[in-house]
Amino acid sequence: MPKWLFTVLVFAKIGIRRYFRDRLAIFFTVVFPLIFLFIFGGLAGNNNVSFSVALINQSNSQIAQQLTEQIKSNKTFKVSPDINNLDLAKQKMSRSEIDATILIPPTFGDTAQNGGIPSGKAVVYYDQNSAEAAQALTSVLQGVFNGANAKLVKLQTPLSVTAQSTNETGLSKFDYTFSGLIGFAIIGLGIFGPVNYFPEMKKQGILRRLHITPLKVWQYFVSSVLSNSVVGLFSIAIMFLVAISIFNFKMAGSYFQLIIFVILGILTIFGIGLAIGGWAKNERQAAPLANIIVFPMMFLSGTFFPRFAMPLWLQHITYFLPLTPIIDGIRMIATEGKTLLDLGPQLLLIGVWAVIIYAIAFRVFRWE
Amino acid sequence: MSEAIVKVRDLHKSYGDKEVVKGISFEVKEGETFGILGPNGAGKTTTLEMIETLRPIDKGKVTIQDINVADDPQTIKYMIGVQTQSTAFMDKVKLTELLEQQAAAYGEKINPHELLKDVDLDEKANSFIENLSGGQKQRFSIAAALVHKPKVFFLDEPTTGLDPQARRRLWALIDKVRKQGVTVILTTHYMEEAEVLCDRVAIMDEGKIVAMDTPENLIQQLLKRGFKKKRRVEQADLEDVFIDMTGKKLGG
Repeated sequence: MPKWLFTVLVFAKIGIRRYFRDRLAIFFTVVFPLIFLFIFGGLAGNNNVSFSVALINQSNSQIAQQLTEQIKSNKTFKVSPDINNLDLAKQKMSRSEIDATILIPPTFGDTAQNGGIPSGKAVVYYDQNSAEAAQALTSVLQGVFNGANAKLVKLQTPLSVTAQSTNETGLSKFDYTFSGLIGFAIIGLGIFGPVNYFPEMKKQGILRRLHITPLKVWQYFVSSVLSNSVVGLFSIAIMFLVAISIFNFKMAGSYFQLIIFVILGILTIFGIGLAIGGWAKNERQAAPLANIIVFPMMFLSGTFFPRFAMPLWLQHITYFLPLTPIIDGIRMIATEGKTLLDLGPQLLLIGVWAVIIYAIAFRVFRWE
Repeated sequence: MSEAIVKVRDLHKSYGDKEVVKGISFEVKEGETFGILGPNGAGKTTTLEMIETLRPIDKGKVTIQDINVADDPQTIKYMIGVQTQSTAFMDKVKLTELLEQQAAAYGEKINPHELLKDVDLDEKANSFIENLSGGQKQRFSIAAALVHKPKVFFLDEPTTGLDPQARRRLWALIDKVRKQGVTVILTTHYMEEAEVLCDRVAIMDEGKIVAMDTPENLIQQLLKRGFKKKRRVEQADLEDVFIDMTGKKLGG
């Protein structure tokens, strides 16, 4: 074995052992991302569109009663109980606690005017803020009423629309959330870690002791990347276990290719941490710089919110952030079953960033 | 004690406008223990750091075995061992692992237990550094600095902050290292330490060497100038009392 490799491997081995003895580090790299996975995974899990509404039935007619039951059992509506007058409903609407109010007036279901057939008009009240929701809700409600109408009078419907599924599994909200959270874990490990411990090791003179030895900066970097990759893969493996067992996540691509890709991602992002932590003389220099870099990246690269929700011009810009190709690539392998060969643009972007980041990291690194 | 192994010629160093080392020269012979004494801020640490390749030399020249420190720091690093003022190591790493890692920095594989035995710490082999006492940390730090068997060993104020017993124990250890043929260069502001350990000392003040000789000669010269102590020195002092009363227990 060449001497340099021996040096690098010993440093990496001890770095990994040290990590598994450090409960705080395990908390921040494993438990912390898992907490986010449960929060966001829980939010994303509810895929059905639903409207929370107040339902006020002022009519005693039988048909009103039936419709009320139908609305309550319809999954599209979440009917808030205890709202029985319009004033209270309006108050709730103005606080956006409910999307709209369905009012069935006292005359609803009168048979007097229409030759024995019950008639009436329900009203949907909505707030300015929830106009879209009210539109959608009204058409769903119309569907319910159409069903009722069909029973009352024989209708002819020469033209109609039916919805049919294409049978292809599209990406669910959780798929986006999951790859974003892996990106979050990589940031936590690759940036917040070194930004904290490098200045601390400088302060204590631990790096200085290494500076006295013939150890070269690149050897130190390579060993740190190695141990960080092992720790990162461990943390991400646990996230996968949770995603598969609890959130019914289905891995579409090859684990081997994903591991290769994730290592490249960790390498690149950890370079940012090395550059900041290696440059900073103390925590006071490191923390603000890390925050300036990390927070925009975290929100703009699709960590917590998918990028497709952004305006187009912002999507074009954020496409080039270092974390974006990593999150996109992980999602493409894990949920779309793509291979590394399909990820040319992502790999190119990651490669360019890695070169830039490590060129800076080497230049600014200080042992003390 | 023959050839000079470390040669320092007209060394200068400034931080901004302030010149902290103002042209000092000295030689250290192979196998010698050489002390640099002086008050805080005299430039001792800066001088050591320039010899150790840790700080760029403004002006002047340092060679170790005729290799210029400024020209070939990488070769010099294999030849020297350094005990820094800080005894901090990575926490949650066993002593054996710390030594393995330190040796790996030189590309060497070692038996950590042997090294730990040399400094009486083998029973602590599986402890973490944070569980050692101050004296134990100092001893461990010496073991770590010697993993690659350097020719010249630098110690920067090795006993500062230690209790008298731990200090004596460290002196014995440094003496043991010297007997293995290692050239030792140390800084201190304890005169007793210099007298016990050093073959020769240089006294630094305000960036300059103001005197350099064996401790005995320096004392003789002072006496010849007609110096008398204000108070007659007893044959024992309070430290001797302390060591005598607590000495049965080995200090940490």
